[in-house]
Order: sequence, then C-alpha cells, then structure tokens
Amino acid sequence: MSLEPIFLWMNRLPLSEYIRESAYVSPVNNLVHLLSMVTFIGALALVDLRLLNTGMRQQPLKQVAQAALPWLVGGFLGLLVTGFIALTGTAMAQYTNRVFWLKMYILLAAMIFTATVRHKVTMADEARVGPLWSMLVGFISLALWTSVAVAARMIMFLR
Amino acid sequence: MTTLHNLFEWLEALPTATALRESDYGYPYLLAGHVVGMLFFAGLILMMDLRLAGLAHVETRVSQIQKRLFPWQMLSLVLSFVTGGLLFYMQPLQYWGKVFFWTKFVMMGLAGANAIVFHLTTYRSVARWDNDPVPPFRARLAGILSIVLWAAVVVFGRLTAYDWLTYQ
Repeated sequence: MSLEPIFLWMNRLPLSEYIRESAYVSPVNNLVHLLSMVTFIGALALVDLRLLNTGMRQQPLKQVAQAALPWLVGGFLGLLVTGFIALTGTAMAQYTNRVFWLKMYILLAAMIFTATVRHKVTMADEARVGPLWSMLVGFISLALWTSVAVAARMIMFLR
Repeated sequence: MTTLHNLFEWLEALPTATALRESDYGYPYLLAGHVVGMLFFAGLILMMDLRLAGLAHVETRVSQIQKRLFPWQMLSLVLSFVTGGLLFYMQPLQYWGKVFFWTKFVMMGLAGANAIVFHLTTYRSVARWDNDPVPPFRARLAGILSIVLWAAVVVFGRLTAYDWLTYQ
C-alpha cells in the first residue's frame, strides 16, 4: 500500500496552499514546534538521567517520572499539532525526501519504546528493575529521541 | 564599529573558515549539534525554572534540582557554545547585519544576568524555603524571567535563519 494518495491529497488542501503562500505561518509554526521540543526533551532528559543513575538521584524514580509526565505529554502534543501543520504545507516535498521517512521510522520506534518499555520501567517499583536495565532504558530513550531531532534537522539539507 | 566589522571580515577570510564554508556537511552537522545542545540545555533549564516558579516537581527540594541538573546543563551549554561558535566562525559576515542575531545575544546576556543576580541574592536563603512547594516571590520571578529570556534566545536564534531585518 502506498501512502502517496494521502500526501497528494494533503498537498492539494486549501490549508496547504495557504500555509505555503503565507510568509508567517511556517516560521511561527516552526517556533512553536521548537519550543515544544525544548519542553519535551527537558521532561524526557530529567527522567532518563535519573534512569542512568545520575541527575536527581535522591528522589524516587516514580516521583520524578510522574512530575515530568504532564510536561512530556504537553510537549509531545505541541510537537504533534505543529508537526502536522508543517507537514500539510510541504506534504509532497516530504513524501519524496528519504530523510523525512528516516525520521518517521525512528520516531515510530521512539514513541513505541517510550509508551511501553520506558513507561513500565519508570512507573514500576524501583527494586523490581535491575540498575543495569534502568540504565539501558535511559540510554536507549535518549539515543532514540536525539536521533529524531537530528534526522529532523537534516531533512532540508539531505535528500 | 569598523574595527568589529574588520574582525568579522578577517575571520571570514581565514582558511579554516573557508574550508568549513565549502564543506557540504560542515554546516548541517554543526547545526544539528547546536540544536541538540540547545534542546538539552534549555530543556533542563526549563525543568529547574518550573520548580522555582512552583509549577512542577514541587515534591523535590529546590537545591536538589539546582545541584543535580547543573552539570548536565553546563555540558549541553558547552556543546551549544562550541557548535555555535564554529557556525559563527565559518560565516561571520552572514550574521553581521542581522538584527535578530544581535537581539539573541542581548537576551542571552539578560538571561545570564538574571541567573547570577538570583544566585547572589535570593538563592542565598534557599535553606529557609527549600521544601516549600511554592517558593518566595523573588524566586518565582527569577524562574519565570529565566523561562521567558531563554525562550527568547531560542526564538531569536531560529529567526536568524530568515532574512528579515537584515542590513548590510
């Protein structure tokens, strides 16, 4: 199954044309995307550093993770909404860009990992998860999300 | 002003700056590094400021957040500085006439001053309000100011990429 019809359809939307023709929608949208990213990465790194047994080590993992969760989810929602707006304006340019798809595959892996393994480990009783497993989860999480950001930044340079 | 402009011209003409400029990958890789450094720096600063403002992590002592996040904030700041410095070094004249570029550094100066003033004044008495879910007004003010100023640094940094308000 090809996703091309969906991207073609997005590209033809009046909203897509409006985004392309406006000098301000894309830059402002991009700024909100970036600030959402800062919030998301802050909330993510705070907990991942704790998983790596550094950072806020004296607090229970679950307490740190629960306090960070609203900011992690809020940042993610901001990224999702502004990401879709950006995609609507440039649908076909993204569709034909290999780095865009690389970002999407890493993003998919990062989302699944965060919602399953990482969520389980951060909300579990700490004694039940070995320190090495915690470190591994923190490391994989940081590596995956950093790769998403790097791949995203590369989209307009590489094809 | 002319001397500063001369310095920019001199930098731009250096062989290593020219080499970086002519490399296909120099700019994208440096930019990616700059974004990653910025994300971790601003993200962890934001988490600390939210605690100061009494908006998040209220069960954790303020001094804990300050102390435990500091090395990571500094590490990512170094990454941002090195990559940012090289991005500037490879094409200084590109930035000379950009109002947003200079505004970014003004904002950075204000954000730094805010942090220093806070540490030299309000933070000295942290032992008295370390456990308070909502810290005293001056601490909350420093936290909110820090969020606004660092966000402005990010915003003006990003806006530097456009050719708005660019003079030669």
